[in-house]
Amino acid sequence: MELLLPLFLNGVVNGAHYALLAMGFGMIFATTGVVHFAYGPVYAVAAYLTWWSVTVLSLPFLVAMGVGIVGCAVVGMASYVLLYRWFLRNDSPPFIILVVSLGLLMLITNLIGVAFGTNAKTVNDVTYGFYFIGSAVVTGVQLWQVLALVVVGLGLAAFMKWTAYGSYIRAMQDNMLMAKIVGINTERVSLVVFGIGSGISGIAASLILVKEGALPHMGFLAVFYAFLAAVVGGLGSLPGAVAGGLILGLVESLGVWRVSSDWQTTIAFGVLFIVLIWRPTGLWKGY
Amino acid sequence: MEYVYHIGVVISLYVILSVSFNITIGLAGLFALAHASFYAFGAYAAAILSVKLGIGFPLSMLVGIVGAGVVGMIIALPALRVGGHYLVIITLAFQAIVTDFLRNANGLTGGPDGLAGVEPINLFGADLTTPGDFLPLAVFFAVLVYLIGQRLERSPFGRALRAMREDESAVQSVGKNPVAFKLLAFAVSGGLAAIAGSLFAHYVSYVGPHSFTVEETILILTMVILGGIGNLTGSVVGAIILVLLPEALKLLSLPPITADMLRGCIYGAMLIVILRFRPQGLLPERHSIPKIADSLRAELKAVGKTVFDIAKVAASGPTLVGKGLHKRFGGIVAVDDATITLKAGRVTGLIGPNGAGKTTAFNLLTGFISTNSGEVTFRDESIGGLRPHEIVSSGIARSFQDLRLFRSMTVLENVLVALPHQAGDKLLNVFFRPRLVRHQEAENLLKAEAVLAYVGLREKAMERADNLSYAEEKLLVIARLVATGAEVLLLDEPLSGLDPTTLEQILPSIRRLAEEGRTVCLIEHNLDVIQKVCDYAFYLDEGRVLAEGPPNELMQDPELQGRYFR
Repeated sequence: MELLLPLFLNGVVNGAHYALLAMGFGMIFATTGVVHFAYGPVYAVAAYLTWWSVTVLSLPFLVAMGVGIVGCAVVGMASYVLLYRWFLRNDSPPFIILVVSLGLLMLITNLIGVAFGTNAKTVNDVTYGFYFIGSAVVTGVQLWQVLALVVVGLGLAAFMKWTAYGSYIRAMQDNMLMAKIVGINTERVSLVVFGIGSGISGIAASLILVKEGALPHMGFLAVFYAFLAAVVGGLGSLPGAVAGGLILGLVESLGVWRVSSDWQTTIAFGVLFIVLIWRPTGLWKGY
Repeated sequence: MEYVYHIGVVISLYVILSVSFNITIGLAGLFALAHASFYAFGAYAAAILSVKLGIGFPLSMLVGIVGAGVVGMIIALPALRVGGHYLVIITLAFQAIVTDFLRNANGLTGGPDGLAGVEPINLFGADLTTPGDFLPLAVFFAVLVYLIGQRLERSPFGRALRAMREDESAVQSVGKNPVAFKLLAFAVSGGLAAIAGSLFAHYVSYVGPHSFTVEETILILTMVILGGIGNLTGSVVGAIILVLLPEALKLLSLPPITADMLRGCIYGAMLIVILRFRPQGLLPERHSIPKIADSLRAELKAVGKTVFDIAKVAASGPTLVGKGLHKRFGGIVAVDDATITLKAGRVTGLIGPNGAGKTTAFNLLTGFISTNSGEVTFRDESIGGLRPHEIVSSGIARSFQDLRLFRSMTVLENVLVALPHQAGDKLLNVFFRPRLVRHQEAENLLKAEAVLAYVGLREKAMERADNLSYAEEKLLVIARLVATGAEVLLLDEPLSGLDPTTLEQILPSIRRLAEEGRTVCLIEHNLDVIQKVCDYAFYLDEGRVLAEGPPNELMQDPELQGRYFR
């Protein structure tokens, strides 16, 4: 039982990270219909930008984080304007757009590798504390990860509920055609959604940079987890994304209780594989 | 020179992989992204058998093929339930599990280090160790896989796969079981990919998990897309180009990791550029229009089969009967205690205002949805529990309000798919009884021509279905129904949206179907049309049968008139 508490906390923390990723990913998918695989490498861009700002430009971490988030949002928006928009305008089948995003994933991932090399980039001068919860140790970064989920989640919920853009987004998620008919500038809203969604992943990325460092291939698993969490929770549902992320984190973490940690991913994917076959629309009804 | 041979071997392996991938992605339209796991299965089966048990080629390859075929069927399971994005994510998850398994099951797979020391293939007493020795075998298998794929593509099985890609419900409605087709498509695709895996293991005498990752699946996908989705020759071209292109990078003498990454960049950019500027690929999918060879025509003539008549149906009395049908959707009662009797030789109409439950009644009668209570019988035998395609096989066929033609197939093919009892729908026949399949195909072509002549579409046989006018589409729907050979035909609004002139052209066809002994039932809103074409009608409103009788009598009922025009 002594192992259980740290595993549980670890699961919640990782789950918060996945939930954050799932929120941005799910929002982009539910609003624009794009399965944005390049969400992963765009997230990696944020981590590398933050790292570069800290180590090369010697900016304070919080400022560097801002650079990362903004840069990530810009790259996300650029991928919409330069790439997806053309396919959406021409009514390309969803699978074509999905493959395009796979192509973009390969392109950006490998460009990062060519530009920065394949060794891990870490920031060492960011200090954070250690805290005890019962017998378990929690680091400051882990607390930030959970806090980020709470703040972003509430902020996003408020944004969706109370702002004009929020209502446009909800309208588009509900019925794209009707949204166009009532005069919503769906392309501008899509652009905003790509910005916000990517920005959210940027927050997650800069925290992961502090915790684990950055690698060129970090984006692939990230978008994969985001996709899984979003699907498990119900694509496009905000509470669904949070629940999906936490479930994913906990399943993965608690699995280690009985099985070697090498099998962590296998357990998570295996459980999800079964859940999705059993209930393909996810636990929460979203989009 | 050995270097050139080596490239040849690599190309052969990727030809096998891309051609086999194109069977699921292109022909069947099943977007499963786990192809590298079949490749892995073939490779690891060969490696494990060779290293641990000392079993070599060809048995090792056979085990890989059968095993990967089974794995293919496992992947097909989710494809039976979900489509689109869900299939993509589930298969990606499966792919990730496979890679993880290879990396972690140290005892079996050698873990991250993989398995070294796989015995080379020994053929005619000589070990095939050098690329030059290996090349002929690799090419042999590449050609074999291509030919297998091609025969599959051109067979009735392949035609049914393409039809399924267009519209799954429509495939069911002509009496085919999509489940069987999906399972087999995955099994074949997986089994063929395993051949490449087996060759790979014996060729490099080493297997490791990094060769079979998601990136590998994406690479093969790029080859398929570059060549052209649905075009097997295109896959060959795609494989050749994408193997050769990165070799050019070697001339730049970059460090290997950078070269690897640049290769990744090229593949990624390539995917984007193709889909942006030429989404159909270098060689777009071609429609091999079936022709009857002259020799076959002669053979058929010799046995007296040159023209097919559309058979008359000898039947009378009640055929399809729905008793006390009841259907709820959530809290809404769509059909409430409706009893509908269809009789042979007459055209029965279902009429009633929008939302009266006509289409639901249709779906109940044809088994597309199940009843909450009540029973549907066909010639006094219950059809409850039969699946839609089985109901069609037993003699009841339906059309859809939204037509659901196989739009990118020719008119002739639309009819061909619907013909019943095709030997070539069975994969075993396609490969082991080709003569039977060829003969039957020739007969079926004649039958299809006859059916088209019957509805007056003979001249349009080679047109793509999406080039037809609206009226012609409606005729094709009728042709497809007739082709199923069913004696009970249910048509969901076959006449709606037609101008009076066209209507006059189509009405006789429908009358004729009934006059020849078939049971015809149709949904229609236009009262004039109902009076012209129907012998008998059921008036439905709010899910109930309010009245039945000859249309003239129904029309004179003031209450029904009031309800209808309300």
